[in-house]
Amino acid sequence: MLAVEDVSVSFGGIRALRGVSFTVTAGETLGLVGPNGAGKTTLFNVISGVQAPSGGRIVFDGRPLAREPDWRRARRGIGRTFQIPQPMHELTVRENLIVAQSFGAGRRDPARIDAILALLGLSPKADRDASTSLSLTEQKALEVAKALATEPRLLLLDEVLGGLETTTKRAFAGTLAEVRERYGLTLIVIEHDIETITNLCPRALVLDFGELIADGPPREVFRDPAVMRSYTGEAAA
Amino acid sequence: MNARAVGVAAALLVVYVGVPLAFGGAPYVMSLVIASLTIAGIAVAWSLLGNLGGLVSFGHAAFFGVGAYTSALLTMGAGWPVLLGLLAGGLGASLASLLTMPALRLRGPYFALAMLAYAHIFKILTVEAEPVTGGAGGLLSIPGFPTILGLPLASKTGAYALILTIVIASCLAYAGLRRSRIGLALRAMHDSELATRIVGVPSTRLKAAMLAVSAFITGVVGAFNAHQIGFLEPDYAFSGNWTLLPIAAAIFGGYRTVWGPPLGAVAIYLLDQLVFKEFVPSGHGLIYGVLLGGMILLSPGGLLPLLRRWSPFRKASPGATVAHAGR
Repeated sequence: MLAVEDVSVSFGGIRALRGVSFTVTAGETLGLVGPNGAGKTTLFNVISGVQAPSGGRIVFDGRPLAREPDWRRARRGIGRTFQIPQPMHELTVRENLIVAQSFGAGRRDPARIDAILALLGLSPKADRDASTSLSLTEQKALEVAKALATEPRLLLLDEVLGGLETTTKRAFAGTLAEVRERYGLTLIVIEHDIETITNLCPRALVLDFGELIADGPPREVFRDPAVMRSYTGEAAA
Repeated sequence: MNARAVGVAAALLVVYVGVPLAFGGAPYVMSLVIASLTIAGIAVAWSLLGNLGGLVSFGHAAFFGVGAYTSALLTMGAGWPVLLGLLAGGLGASLASLLTMPALRLRGPYFALAMLAYAHIFKILTVEAEPVTGGAGGLLSIPGFPTILGLPLASKTGAYALILTIVIASCLAYAGLRRSRIGLALRAMHDSELATRIVGVPSTRLKAAMLAVSAFITGVVGAFNAHQIGFLEPDYAFSGNWTLLPIAAAIFGGYRTVWGPPLGAVAIYLLDQLVFKEFVPSGHGLIYGVLLGGMILLSPGGLLPLLRRWSPFRKASPGATVAHAGR
Protein backbone atom coordinates (compact mmCIF):
# COMPACT_ATOMS: atom_id res chain seq x y z
CA MET A 1 0.00 0.00 0.00
CA LEU A 2 2.73 2.48 1.00
CA ALA A 3 6.36 2.58 -0.02
CA VAL A 4 8.76 5.12 1.48
CA GLU A 5 11.79 5.07 -0.80
CA ASP A 6 15.09 6.63 0.26
CA VAL A 7 13.38 9.71 1.73
CA SER A 8 15.58 12.53 3.01
CA VAL A 9 14.63 15.90 4.45
CA SER A 10 17.03 18.74 5.21
CA PHE A 11 16.29 21.98 7.04
CA GLY A 12 19.26 24.13 6.18
CA GLY A 13 22.24 22.20 7.51
CA ILE A 14 20.13 19.85 9.62
CA ARG A 15 19.20 16.51 8.11
CA ALA A 16 15.90 15.53 9.67
CA LEU A 17 15.56 12.32 7.61
CA ARG A 18 18.41 10.39 5.97
CA GLY A 19 17.51 7.91 3.25
CA VAL A 20 14.58 6.31 5.05
CA SER A 21 13.00 3.35 3.23
CA PHE A 22 10.28 0.89 4.24
CA THR A 23 7.02 -0.53 2.96
CA VAL A 24 3.64 -1.00 4.58
CA THR A 25 1.12 -3.55 3.39
CA ALA A 26 -2.64 -3.05 3.55
CA GLY A 27 -4.11 -3.88 6.96
CA GLU A 28 -0.80 -3.57 8.82
CA THR A 29 -0.42 -1.62 12.06
CA LEU A 30 3.02 -0.14 12.36
CA GLY A 31 4.53 1.57 15.37
CA LEU A 32 6.97 4.41 14.70
CA VAL A 33 9.22 5.17 17.65
CA GLY A 34 12.38 7.04 18.44
CA PRO A 35 13.71 9.73 20.74
CA ASN A 36 12.54 13.33 20.45
CA GLY A 37 13.91 14.91 17.29
CA ALA A 38 14.41 11.55 15.57
CA GLY A 39 12.32 12.63 12.56
CA LYS A 40 9.05 10.79 13.23
CA THR A 41 6.72 13.74 12.69
CA THR A 42 8.82 14.91 9.74
CA LEU A 43 8.24 11.51 8.16
CA PHE A 44 4.48 11.88 8.69
CA ASN A 45 4.70 15.34 7.17
CA VAL A 46 6.39 13.93 4.09
CA ILE A 47 3.89 11.09 3.68
CA SER A 48 0.90 13.40 4.13
CA GLY A 49 2.31 16.10 1.84
CA VAL A 50 2.78 18.79 4.47
CA GLN A 51 6.55 18.71 3.89
CA ALA A 52 8.30 18.13 0.55
CA PRO A 53 11.23 15.71 0.78
CA SER A 54 14.72 16.82 -0.24
CA GLY A 55 15.20 13.42 -1.83
CA GLY A 56 13.45 10.10 -2.36
CA ARG A 57 9.78 9.50 -2.98
CA ILE A 58 6.51 8.25 -1.51
CA VAL A 59 4.48 5.68 -3.44
CA PHE A 60 0.88 5.09 -2.40
CA ASP A 61 -1.21 2.39 -4.05
CA GLY A 62 1.52 1.98 -6.67
CA ARG A 63 1.49 5.66 -7.61
CA PRO A 64 4.21 8.19 -6.74
CA LEU A 65 2.84 11.14 -4.74
CA ALA A 66 5.55 13.65 -5.59
CA ARG A 67 3.25 16.32 -7.02
CA GLU A 68 0.20 15.64 -4.92
CA PRO A 69 -0.55 18.46 -2.45
CA ASP A 70 -1.60 17.57 1.10
CA TRP A 71 -5.32 18.08 0.47
CA ARG A 72 -5.30 15.75 -2.53
CA ARG A 73 -3.45 13.05 -0.57
CA ALA A 74 -6.23 13.27 2.03
CA ARG A 75 -8.75 12.65 -0.75
CA ARG A 76 -6.72 9.69 -1.99
CA GLY A 77 -6.99 8.00 1.38
CA ILE A 78 -4.15 9.23 3.58
CA GLY A 79 -5.51 10.55 6.85
CA ARG A 80 -3.49 11.93 9.73
CA THR A 81 -3.65 13.51 13.14
CA PHE A 82 -1.37 16.09 14.70
CA GLN A 83 0.57 15.83 17.93
CA ILE A 84 -0.89 19.17 19.01
CA PRO A 85 -4.62 18.91 18.23
CA GLN A 86 -5.74 21.16 15.41
CA PRO A 87 -9.49 21.58 15.75
CA MET A 88 -11.14 23.72 13.13
CA HIS A 89 -11.92 26.85 15.08
CA GLU A 90 -15.29 28.57 14.79
CA LEU A 91 -16.94 25.21 14.10
CA THR A 92 -18.72 22.69 16.29
CA VAL A 93 -17.38 19.17 16.73
CA ARG A 94 -19.92 17.83 14.24
CA GLU A 95 -19.15 20.59 11.73
CA ASN A 96 -15.48 19.62 11.93
CA LEU A 97 -16.46 16.15 10.76
CA ILE A 98 -18.88 17.48 8.13
CA VAL A 99 -16.09 19.52 6.54
CA ALA A 100 -13.70 16.56 6.68
CA GLN A 101 -16.25 14.22 5.12
CA SER A 102 -17.47 16.67 2.48
CA PHE A 103 -14.00 17.46 1.21
CA GLY A 104 -11.95 14.41 2.16
CA ALA A 105 -14.45 11.73 1.19
CA GLY A 106 -16.42 13.85 -1.27
CA ARG A 107 -19.79 12.72 0.00
CA ARG A 108 -22.36 13.33 2.70
CA ASP A 109 -23.12 10.52 5.12
CA PRO A 110 -24.55 11.82 8.41
CA ALA A 111 -24.94 8.25 9.71
CA ARG A 112 -21.21 7.63 9.40
CA ILE A 113 -20.49 10.89 11.21
CA ASP A 114 -22.82 9.87 14.03
CA ALA A 115 -21.12 6.48 14.20
CA ILE A 116 -17.66 8.05 14.40
CA LEU A 117 -18.78 10.47 17.10
CA ALA A 118 -20.25 7.61 19.12
CA LEU A 119 -17.21 5.38 18.68
CA LEU A 120 -14.87 8.09 19.93
CA GLY A 121 -17.14 9.21 22.76
CA LEU A 122 -17.81 12.62 21.26
CA SER A 123 -21.58 12.38 20.83
CA PRO A 124 -22.37 14.42 23.96
CA LYS A 125 -20.15 17.26 22.66
CA ALA A 126 -21.18 16.98 19.01
CA ASP A 127 -22.79 20.39 18.85
CA ARG A 128 -20.38 22.20 21.13
CA ASP A 129 -17.63 24.55 20.03
CA ALA A 130 -14.61 22.47 19.01
CA SER A 131 -11.99 24.94 20.11
CA THR A 132 -13.16 25.76 23.63
CA SER A 133 -15.34 23.01 25.05
CA LEU A 134 -13.19 19.88 24.79
CA SER A 135 -10.82 18.23 27.27
CA LEU A 136 -7.41 17.09 26.04
CA THR A 137 -8.69 13.53 25.58
CA GLU A 138 -11.66 14.82 23.59
CA GLN A 139 -9.41 17.00 21.48
CA LYS A 140 -7.29 13.95 20.68
CA ALA A 141 -10.47 11.99 19.90
CA LEU A 142 -11.58 14.79 17.57
CA GLU A 143 -8.27 14.54 15.73
CA VAL A 144 -8.95 10.87 15.06
CA ALA A 145 -12.61 11.53 14.26
CA LYS A 146 -11.77 14.18 11.65
CA ALA A 147 -9.31 11.86 9.98
CA LEU A 148 -11.85 9.01 9.99
CA ALA A 149 -14.48 11.25 8.42
CA THR A 150 -12.26 11.59 5.33
CA GLU A 151 -12.61 7.80 4.92
CA PRO A 152 -8.89 7.07 4.86
CA ARG A 153 -7.32 3.72 4.09
CA LEU A 154 -4.00 4.69 5.68
CA LEU A 155 -4.18 6.58 8.97
CA LEU A 156 -1.14 8.28 10.49
CA LEU A 157 -1.56 8.84 14.24
CA ASP A 158 0.97 11.29 15.67
CA GLU A 159 1.22 10.81 19.44
CA VAL A 160 -2.53 10.69 19.71
CA LEU A 161 -2.13 9.11 23.16
CA GLY A 162 0.54 11.56 24.30
CA GLY A 163 -0.21 13.51 27.46
CA LEU A 164 -3.02 11.19 28.57
CA GLU A 165 -2.92 9.50 31.97
CA THR A 166 -2.42 5.74 32.03
CA THR A 167 -6.03 4.57 32.42
CA THR A 168 -7.29 6.92 29.77
CA LYS A 169 -4.42 5.95 27.49
CA ARG A 170 -5.28 2.23 27.76
CA ALA A 171 -8.93 2.90 27.05
CA PHE A 172 -8.06 5.11 24.09
CA ALA A 173 -5.67 2.48 22.72
CA GLY A 174 -8.56 0.00 22.89
CA THR A 175 -10.72 2.45 20.96
CA LEU A 176 -8.01 2.78 18.31
CA ALA A 177 -7.92 -0.99 17.92
CA GLU A 178 -11.70 -0.97 17.47
CA VAL A 179 -11.42 1.86 14.93
CA ARG A 180 -8.86 -0.17 13.00
CA GLU A 181 -11.08 -3.24 12.91
CA ARG A 182 -14.32 -1.46 12.11
CA TYR A 183 -12.96 0.60 9.24
CA GLY A 184 -10.35 -1.86 7.96
CA LEU A 185 -7.53 0.64 8.30
CA THR A 186 -3.82 0.49 7.86
CA LEU A 187 -2.23 2.36 10.76
CA ILE A 188 1.12 3.97 11.43
CA VAL A 189 1.31 5.06 15.06
CA ILE A 190 3.88 7.41 16.57
CA GLU A 191 4.01 6.70 20.28
CA HIS A 192 6.60 6.86 23.06
CA ASP A 193 4.86 4.38 25.33
CA ILE A 194 6.43 0.95 24.81
CA GLU A 195 3.45 -0.92 26.29
CA THR A 196 1.06 0.75 23.86
CA ILE A 197 3.27 0.01 20.88
CA THR A 198 3.75 -3.58 21.96
CA ASN A 199 0.03 -4.17 22.45
CA LEU A 200 -1.22 -2.32 19.40
CA CYS A 201 1.45 -2.87 16.76
CA PRO A 202 2.80 -6.21 15.44
CA ARG A 203 5.67 -4.29 13.85
CA ALA A 204 7.72 -1.29 14.92
CA LEU A 205 10.19 1.00 13.16
CA VAL A 206 12.77 2.98 15.10
CA LEU A 207 14.17 6.28 13.88
CA ASP A 208 17.23 7.92 15.40
CA PHE A 209 18.73 11.17 14.12
CA GLY A 210 16.70 10.76 10.94
CA GLU A 211 17.91 7.23 10.22
CA LEU A 212 15.90 4.04 10.32
CA ILE A 213 17.84 1.88 12.79
CA ALA A 214 15.43 -1.00 13.43
CA ASP A 215 12.39 -2.67 11.87
CA GLY A 216 10.63 -5.70 13.35
CA PRO A 217 8.32 -7.00 16.08
CA PRO A 218 8.27 -4.53 19.02
CA ARG A 219 9.57 -7.00 21.62
CA GLU A 220 12.63 -7.69 19.47
CA VAL A 221 13.12 -4.10 18.39
CA PHE A 222 13.12 -2.75 21.95
CA ARG A 223 15.83 -5.29 22.91
CA ASP A 224 18.03 -4.18 20.00
CA PRO A 225 21.26 -2.65 21.44
CA ALA A 226 21.22 0.13 18.85
CA VAL A 227 17.68 1.10 19.87
CA MET A 228 18.59 1.00 23.55
CA ARG A 229 21.62 3.22 22.88
CA SER A 230 19.47 5.71 20.96
CA TYR A 231 17.20 6.11 23.97
CA THR A 232 20.04 6.40 26.47
CA GLY A 233 21.80 8.93 24.25
CA GLU A 234 24.94 6.89 23.77
CA ALA A 235 24.52 6.91 19.99
CA ALA A 236 25.02 10.65 19.94
CA ALA A 237 28.18 10.52 21.95
CA MET B 1 -46.53 33.19 7.82
CA ASN B 2 -44.12 33.23 10.76
CA ALA B 3 -42.84 36.31 12.58
CA ARG B 4 -39.51 36.24 10.76
CA ALA B 5 -41.18 36.26 7.32
CA VAL B 6 -43.44 39.13 8.39
CA GLY B 7 -40.39 41.05 9.61
CA VAL B 8 -38.51 40.49 6.36
CA ALA B 9 -41.55 41.52 4.27
CA ALA B 10 -42.00 44.66 6.35
CA ALA B 11 -38.32 45.55 6.05
CA LEU B 12 -38.39 45.05 2.27
CA LEU B 13 -41.52 47.19 2.02
CA VAL B 14 -39.83 49.94 4.01
CA VAL B 15 -36.60 49.94 2.01
CA TYR B 16 -38.15 49.51 -1.45
CA VAL B 17 -41.23 51.69 -1.03
CA GLY B 18 -40.85 53.70 2.15
CA VAL B 19 -37.51 55.30 1.31
CA PRO B 20 -38.57 56.55 -2.16
CA LEU B 21 -41.88 57.80 -0.73
CA ALA B 22 -40.09 59.63 2.05
CA PHE B 23 -37.21 61.10 0.06
CA GLY B 24 -38.35 60.92 -3.57
CA GLY B 25 -38.93 64.67 -3.54
CA ALA B 26 -35.40 65.33 -2.32
CA PRO B 27 -33.05 64.36 -5.16
CA TYR B 28 -29.98 65.33 -3.13
CA VAL B 29 -30.90 62.98 -0.31
CA MET B 30 -31.71 60.20 -2.79
CA SER B 31 -28.29 60.76 -4.42
CA LEU B 32 -26.65 60.34 -1.03
CA VAL B 33 -28.66 57.19 -0.32
CA ILE B 34 -27.61 55.75 -3.69
CA ALA B 35 -23.97 56.65 -2.97
CA SER B 36 -24.19 55.01 0.44
CA LEU B 37 -25.58 51.84 -1.14
CA THR B 38 -22.77 51.90 -3.71
CA ILE B 39 -20.30 51.86 -0.83
CA ALA B 40 -22.46 49.23 0.87
CA GLY B 41 -22.10 46.91 -2.12
CA ILE B 42 -18.31 47.12 -2.00
CA ALA B 43 -18.38 46.75 1.80
CA VAL B 44 -20.31 43.48 1.43
CA ALA B 45 -17.80 42.23 -1.15
CA TRP B 46 -14.84 43.26 1.01
CA SER B 47 -16.30 41.57 4.09
CA LEU B 48 -17.04 38.41 2.14
CA LEU B 49 -13.40 38.18 1.15
CA GLY B 50 -12.27 38.87 4.71
CA ASN B 51 -14.69 36.52 6.45
CA LEU B 52 -14.76 33.65 4.01
CA GLY B 53 -11.42 34.02 2.26
CA GLY B 54 -9.58 35.25 5.34
CA LEU B 55 -8.00 37.97 3.23
CA VAL B 56 -7.82 41.69 3.96
CA SER B 57 -7.65 43.68 0.74
CA PHE B 58 -6.61 47.30 0.30
CA GLY B 59 -7.19 47.08 -3.43
CA HIS B 60 -10.89 46.68 -4.11
CA ALA B 61 -10.75 49.91 -6.10
CA ALA B 62 -9.09 47.77 -8.79
CA PHE B 63 -12.21 45.62 -9.19
CA PHE B 64 -14.51 48.63 -8.96
CA GLY B 65 -12.59 50.37 -11.75
CA VAL B 66 -12.29 47.30 -13.96
CA GLY B 67 -16.03 46.60 -13.59
CA ALA B 68 -16.88 50.20 -14.41
CA TYR B 69 -14.67 50.35 -17.50
CA THR B 70 -15.69 46.89 -18.75
CA SER B 71 -19.37 47.72 -18.70
CA ALA B 72 -18.88 51.24 -20.07
CA LEU B 73 -16.75 50.04 -22.98
CA LEU B 74 -19.03 47.13 -23.89
CA THR B 75 -22.17 49.28 -23.85
CA MET B 76 -20.54 52.19 -25.68
CA GLY B 77 -18.39 50.28 -28.15
CA ALA B 78 -20.23 47.04 -28.73
CA GLY B 79 -23.75 48.20 -28.04
CA TRP B 80 -24.40 45.76 -25.23
CA PRO B 81 -27.55 46.36 -23.18
CA VAL B 82 -26.69 48.19 -19.99
CA LEU B 83 -28.06 45.56 -17.61
CA LEU B 84 -26.01 42.90 -19.39
CA GLY B 85 -23.08 45.31 -19.11
CA LEU B 86 -23.44 45.24 -15.32
CA LEU B 87 -22.95 41.47 -15.31
CA ALA B 88 -20.08 41.83 -17.78
CA GLY B 89 -18.53 44.36 -15.40
CA GLY B 90 -18.68 41.77 -12.65
CA LEU B 91 -17.18 39.10 -14.88
CA GLY B 92 -14.46 41.52 -16.02
CA ALA B 93 -13.54 42.18 -12.42
CA SER B 94 -13.51 38.44 -11.70
CA LEU B 95 -11.16 37.94 -14.64
CA ALA B 96 -8.99 40.76 -13.33
CA SER B 97 -8.88 38.95 -10.00
CA LEU B 98 -7.15 36.06 -11.79
CA LEU B 99 -4.24 38.42 -12.41
CA THR B 100 -4.00 39.05 -8.68
CA MET B 101 -3.83 35.34 -7.82
CA PRO B 102 -0.06 35.38 -7.26
CA ALA B 103 -0.79 37.62 -4.28
CA LEU B 104 -2.63 34.70 -2.63
CA ARG B 105 0.76 33.33 -1.69
CA LEU B 106 1.11 36.32 0.62
CA ARG B 107 -0.45 36.67 4.04
CA GLY B 108 -1.74 39.47 6.24
CA PRO B 109 -0.47 42.96 5.49
CA TYR B 110 1.64 41.73 2.57
CA PHE B 111 -1.47 40.56 0.72
CA ALA B 112 -3.27 43.80 1.57
CA LEU B 113 -0.40 45.91 0.20
CA ALA B 114 -0.03 43.74 -2.90
CA MET B 115 -3.70 44.37 -3.67
CA LEU B 116 -3.12 48.10 -3.22
CA ALA B 117 -0.34 47.82 -5.79
CA TYR B 118 -2.62 45.94 -8.19
CA ALA B 119 -5.18 48.75 -7.98
CA HIS B 120 -2.46 51.21 -8.93
CA ILE B 121 -1.27 48.98 -11.78
CA PHE B 122 -4.80 48.69 -13.21
CA LYS B 123 -5.14 52.45 -13.04
CA ILE B 124 -1.88 52.97 -14.92
CA LEU B 125 -2.88 50.40 -17.55
CA THR B 126 -6.19 52.21 -18.02
CA VAL B 127 -4.41 55.54 -18.51
CA GLU B 128 -1.93 54.03 -20.96
CA ALA B 129 -4.54 52.16 -23.01
CA GLU B 130 -5.82 55.47 -24.32
CA PRO B 131 -7.17 54.24 -27.70
CA VAL B 132 -9.52 51.90 -25.83
CA THR B 133 -10.19 53.63 -22.51
CA GLY B 134 -9.84 57.26 -23.44
CA GLY B 135 -6.73 57.52 -21.27
CA ALA B 136 -6.53 60.11 -18.52
CA GLY B 137 -9.37 62.02 -20.17
CA GLY B 138 -11.71 59.11 -19.50
CA LEU B 139 -15.05 58.25 -21.06
CA LEU B 140 -18.03 60.54 -21.48
CA SER B 141 -21.66 59.87 -22.37
CA ILE B 142 -21.78 56.40 -20.92
CA PRO B 143 -25.31 55.05 -21.55
CA GLY B 144 -27.74 55.33 -18.67
CA PHE B 145 -30.07 52.69 -17.33
CA PRO B 146 -33.13 51.56 -19.33
CA THR B 147 -36.75 51.53 -18.23
CA ILE B 148 -37.92 48.19 -16.85
CA LEU B 149 -41.61 47.40 -16.24
CA GLY B 150 -42.43 51.07 -16.46
CA LEU B 151 -39.79 52.08 -13.90
CA PRO B 152 -37.09 54.31 -15.39
CA LEU B 153 -33.95 52.97 -13.74
CA ALA B 154 -32.16 56.13 -14.78
CA SER B 155 -34.31 58.11 -12.32
CA LYS B 156 -33.22 58.48 -8.69
CA THR B 157 -35.92 56.07 -7.56
CA GLY B 158 -35.04 53.57 -10.29
CA ALA B 159 -31.32 53.72 -9.59
CA TYR B 160 -32.05 53.36 -5.89
CA ALA B 161 -34.13 50.23 -6.51
CA LEU B 162 -31.40 48.79 -8.74
CA ILE B 163 -28.46 49.31 -6.38
CA LEU B 164 -30.59 48.18 -3.43
CA THR B 165 -31.35 44.96 -5.33
CA ILE B 166 -27.65 44.48 -6.09
CA VAL B 167 -26.75 44.93 -2.42
CA ILE B 168 -29.51 42.63 -1.13
CA ALA B 169 -28.71 39.97 -3.74
CA SER B 170 -25.03 40.17 -2.76
CA CYS B 171 -25.89 39.78 0.92
CA LEU B 172 -28.15 36.80 0.21
CA ALA B 173 -25.45 35.15 -1.90
CA TYR B 174 -22.92 35.83 0.86
CA ALA B 175 -25.24 34.40 3.52
CA GLY B 176 -25.93 31.31 1.41
CA LEU B 177 -22.26 30.77 0.76
CA ARG B 178 -21.48 31.20 4.44
CA ARG B 179 -24.04 28.58 5.45
CA SER B 180 -22.82 26.07 2.86
CA ARG B 181 -20.22 23.38 3.47
CA ILE B 182 -17.76 25.48 1.50
CA GLY B 183 -18.56 28.32 3.89
CA LEU B 184 -17.89 26.05 6.87
CA ALA B 185 -14.51 25.08 5.46
CA LEU B 186 -13.65 28.68 4.65
CA ARG B 187 -14.50 29.86 8.15
CA ALA B 188 -12.45 27.04 9.60
CA MET B 189 -9.46 27.95 7.46
CA HIS B 190 -8.80 31.27 9.16
CA ASP B 191 -7.17 30.00 12.31
CA SER B 192 -6.00 26.61 11.14
CA GLU B 193 -5.48 26.35 7.40
CA LEU B 194 -3.33 23.24 7.81
CA ALA B 195 -6.12 21.54 9.77
CA THR B 196 -8.46 22.04 6.84
CA ARG B 197 -5.99 21.13 4.10
CA ILE B 198 -5.17 17.86 5.82
CA VAL B 199 -8.81 16.77 5.60
CA GLY B 200 -8.99 17.50 1.88
CA VAL B 201 -9.89 21.19 1.70
CA PRO B 202 -8.11 22.89 -1.23
CA SER B 203 -7.65 26.09 0.73
CA THR B 204 -5.81 28.13 -1.90
CA ARG B 205 -8.43 27.33 -4.54
CA LEU B 206 -11.23 28.29 -2.20
CA LYS B 207 -9.52 31.57 -1.35
CA ALA B 208 -9.09 32.26 -5.06
CA ALA B 209 -12.78 31.53 -5.61
CA MET B 210 -13.74 33.96 -2.83
CA LEU B 211 -11.50 36.60 -4.36
CA ALA B 212 -13.27 36.10 -7.69
CA VAL B 213 -16.74 36.30 -6.07
CA SER B 214 -15.76 39.42 -4.13
CA ALA B 215 -14.33 40.97 -7.30
CA PHE B 216 -17.54 40.11 -9.18
CA ILE B 217 -19.75 41.94 -6.69
CA THR B 218 -17.41 44.93 -6.65
CA GLY B 219 -17.26 44.95 -10.44
CA VAL B 220 -21.06 44.98 -10.73
CA VAL B 221 -21.20 47.89 -8.28
CA GLY B 222 -18.50 49.71 -10.26
CA ALA B 223 -20.46 49.16 -13.47
CA PHE B 224 -23.62 50.44 -11.79
CA ASN B 225 -21.78 53.58 -10.74
CA ALA B 226 -20.41 54.18 -14.25
CA HIS B 227 -23.87 54.05 -15.83
CA GLN B 228 -25.42 56.08 -13.05
CA ILE B 229 -23.05 59.03 -13.28
CA GLY B 230 -22.43 58.75 -17.05
CA PHE B 231 -18.67 59.36 -17.13
CA LEU B 232 -15.45 57.70 -16.05
CA GLU B 233 -11.84 58.68 -15.60
CA PRO B 234 -9.06 56.55 -14.11
CA ASP B 235 -8.47 58.77 -11.07
CA TYR B 236 -12.13 58.44 -10.17
CA ALA B 237 -12.71 54.80 -11.08
CA PHE B 238 -9.60 53.52 -9.29
CA SER B 239 -9.73 56.02 -6.42
CA GLY B 240 -8.60 54.74 -3.05
CA ASN B 241 -11.93 55.95 -1.67
CA TRP B 242 -13.56 52.89 -3.23
CA THR B 243 -11.42 50.83 -0.90
CA LEU B 244 -11.17 52.93 2.26
CA LEU B 245 -14.80 54.01 2.65
CA PRO B 246 -16.16 50.44 2.35
CA ILE B 247 -13.57 49.16 4.83
CA ALA B 248 -14.53 51.86 7.35
CA ALA B 249 -18.23 51.16 6.73
CA ALA B 250 -17.79 47.40 7.11
CA ILE B 251 -15.88 47.76 10.37
CA PHE B 252 -18.40 50.29 11.67
CA GLY B 253 -21.35 48.07 10.80
CA GLY B 254 -19.81 44.76 11.87
CA TYR B 255 -17.60 43.13 9.31
CA ARG B 256 -18.02 39.64 10.80
CA THR B 257 -21.72 39.76 10.00
CA VAL B 258 -23.50 39.64 6.63
CA TRP B 259 -25.83 42.60 7.08
CA GLY B 260 -23.55 44.76 9.23
CA PRO B 261 -21.41 46.16 6.38
CA PRO B 262 -24.35 47.55 4.34
CA LEU B 263 -25.95 48.86 7.52
CA GLY B 264 -22.66 50.50 8.46
CA ALA B 265 -22.22 52.01 5.00
CA VAL B 266 -25.65 53.61 4.97
CA ALA B 267 -25.42 54.78 8.60
CA ILE B 268 -21.95 56.25 8.55
CA TYR B 269 -22.15 57.79 5.06
CA LEU B 270 -25.51 59.44 5.61
CA LEU B 271 -24.52 60.64 9.07
CA ASP B 272 -21.36 62.14 7.62
CA GLN B 273 -23.02 63.81 4.65
CA LEU B 274 -26.29 64.91 6.21
CA VAL B 275 -25.29 65.68 9.79
CA PHE B 276 -21.55 66.11 10.33
CA LYS B 277 -21.04 68.01 7.08
CA GLU B 278 -23.93 70.31 7.99
CA PHE B 279 -22.34 71.38 11.25
CA VAL B 280 -18.67 71.11 10.30
CA PRO B 281 -18.51 71.85 6.55
CA SER B 282 -14.74 71.44 6.42
CA GLY B 283 -13.12 68.78 8.53
CA HIS B 284 -16.25 66.68 9.02
CA GLY B 285 -14.12 63.65 8.23
CA LEU B 286 -12.62 64.12 11.68
CA ILE B 287 -15.98 63.35 13.32
CA TYR B 288 -16.32 60.39 10.98
CA GLY B 289 -12.99 59.08 12.26
CA VAL B 290 -13.90 59.69 15.90
CA LEU B 291 -17.20 57.87 15.36
CA LEU B 292 -15.41 54.88 13.85
CA GLY B 293 -12.86 54.82 16.67
CA GLY B 294 -15.64 55.10 19.24
CA MET B 295 -17.49 52.19 17.69
CA ILE B 296 -14.39 50.02 17.75
CA LEU B 297 -13.91 50.80 21.44
CA LEU B 298 -17.58 50.44 22.38
CA SER B 299 -18.35 47.39 20.27
CA PRO B 300 -15.41 45.81 18.45
CA GLY B 301 -17.90 43.64 16.58
CA GLY B 302 -19.55 46.74 15.09
CA LEU B 303 -22.97 48.34 14.96
CA LEU B 304 -25.10 45.32 14.10
CA PRO B 305 -23.89 43.16 17.00
CA LEU B 306 -24.38 46.20 19.25
CA LEU B 307 -27.98 46.61 18.07
CA ARG B 308 -28.56 42.89 18.57
CA ARG B 309 -27.28 43.15 22.14
CA TRP B 310 -29.59 46.07 22.82
CA SER B 311 -32.55 44.58 21.02
CA PRO B 312 -35.48 43.60 23.29
CA PHE B 313 -36.24 40.77 20.82
CA ARG B 314 -32.79 39.19 20.92
CA LYS B 315 -32.48 35.45 21.38
CA ALA B 316 -30.46 34.15 24.30
CA SER B 317 -27.25 32.70 22.91
CA PRO B 318 -25.04 31.38 25.71
CA GLY B 319 -21.46 31.16 24.74
CA ALA B 320 -21.93 33.22 21.61
CA THR B 321 -18.86 35.12 20.58
CA VAL B 322 -18.14 37.86 18.10
CA ALA B 323 -16.89 35.16 15.78
CA HIS B 324 -20.34 33.63 15.67
CA ALA B 325 -22.24 36.84 15.33
CA GLY B 326 -22.88 36.43 11.64
CA ARG B 327 -24.32 32.97 11.75
